[in-house]
Amino acid sequence: MRRLLNNKWVVIVLRLLVGGIFIYAGALKLQAPQAFADSIATFQLLPVELIGIVAIALPILEIITGLALVVGLFQRRASFAALIMALVFGLALGSALFRGLEVDCGCFGSGAPSVWKTWNSLGRDLILFATILWIYNAQVTHHSASLAVEI
Amino acid sequence: MFKRFLYTAREDLPGFVVLALASLCIGLLLNQFRAKPLPLAYLTKEARMKESVEKLASVAPLEARETTPAKPPESAVEIQHITLDQFRLFAEDGESLILDARPEIFHRLGHIPGALALPRDEFESYYQKHRDALEKNKARRLVIYCQGGSCEDSDLVSKALVRLGYTQIAIFTDGWNAWVAERLPEERS
Repeated sequence: MRRLLNNKWVVIVLRLLVGGIFIYAGALKLQAPQAFADSIATFQLLPVELIGIVAIALPILEIITGLALVVGLFQRRASFAALIMALVFGLALGSALFRGLEVDCGCFGSGAPSVWKTWNSLGRDLILFATILWIYNAQVTHHSASLAVEI
Repeated sequence: MFKRFLYTAREDLPGFVVLALASLCIGLLLNQFRAKPLPLAYLTKEARMKESVEKLASVAPLEARETTPAKPPESAVEIQHITLDQFRLFAEDGESLILDARPEIFHRLGHIPGALALPRDEFESYYQKHRDALEKNKARRLVIYCQGGSCEDSDLVSKALVRLGYTQIAIFTDGWNAWVAERLPEERS
């Protein structure tokens, strides 16, 4: 099991997949920032003053993270950034469901909110989170092994 | 293994913060070069619609503003919510103007035959485009639809039209989804 989890080729394929997803998601949000800001507002989590800032910064963060994962630069840091984003998305979606809100995740473009869509988004995010965790764990193992060699 | 994981995560956290701040700076810079920069102070959909309506009302030709009879108070205008069958009757009677409140790209990909695009998110520009057709007769029945279900676009567009002085407004509540579910004819732009 550990060998599968740390298999170099499996991790590379997953890294490319996750990187591509983040680039795609970021590019969609970059094209329609107002719609993305509206999606963020539906979560009723952030104060109004921060919604615009997050709507402006998050797509860029996604694209940079996605590119780093695809190109293979700063892989550990990039997968950590992806992990944090997936975790925050998941917590936001979970919070919305707990409060009975119908939200539009805005993850891959915006649309009409619905409870079904929110559950669907949460399910997708959990799978993504697990995949990124797998990638990050492989990077951590590789990093520890490199440190051990140096010592 | 978990300790090692946490230790590495703690090492990576400052890098994430720097990356987030750099993303914000790049985003703010790119935002300035947009045709329509996103305002940092977020305005709700309702507030943006209200702003659009105020701009449209202020650019109405002077003669129109002078000769237009005083509009009834907004609370006096009753917006009807209609079913698919009622909508089909209105669509076929030739007296109603059908308006599509969905984003323009959805309108282009398929809309109810004869419907004009009046997307909620580009209300001001599309109202200007269809101004002549709309203002020719403000007492004409306007029937608005969007995706259906929990979509609020038709609701927001109808309220904006009431503020602009239209008095005969109906919303086809089940919207495009219901039209497509019945396999009724579609038109593309």
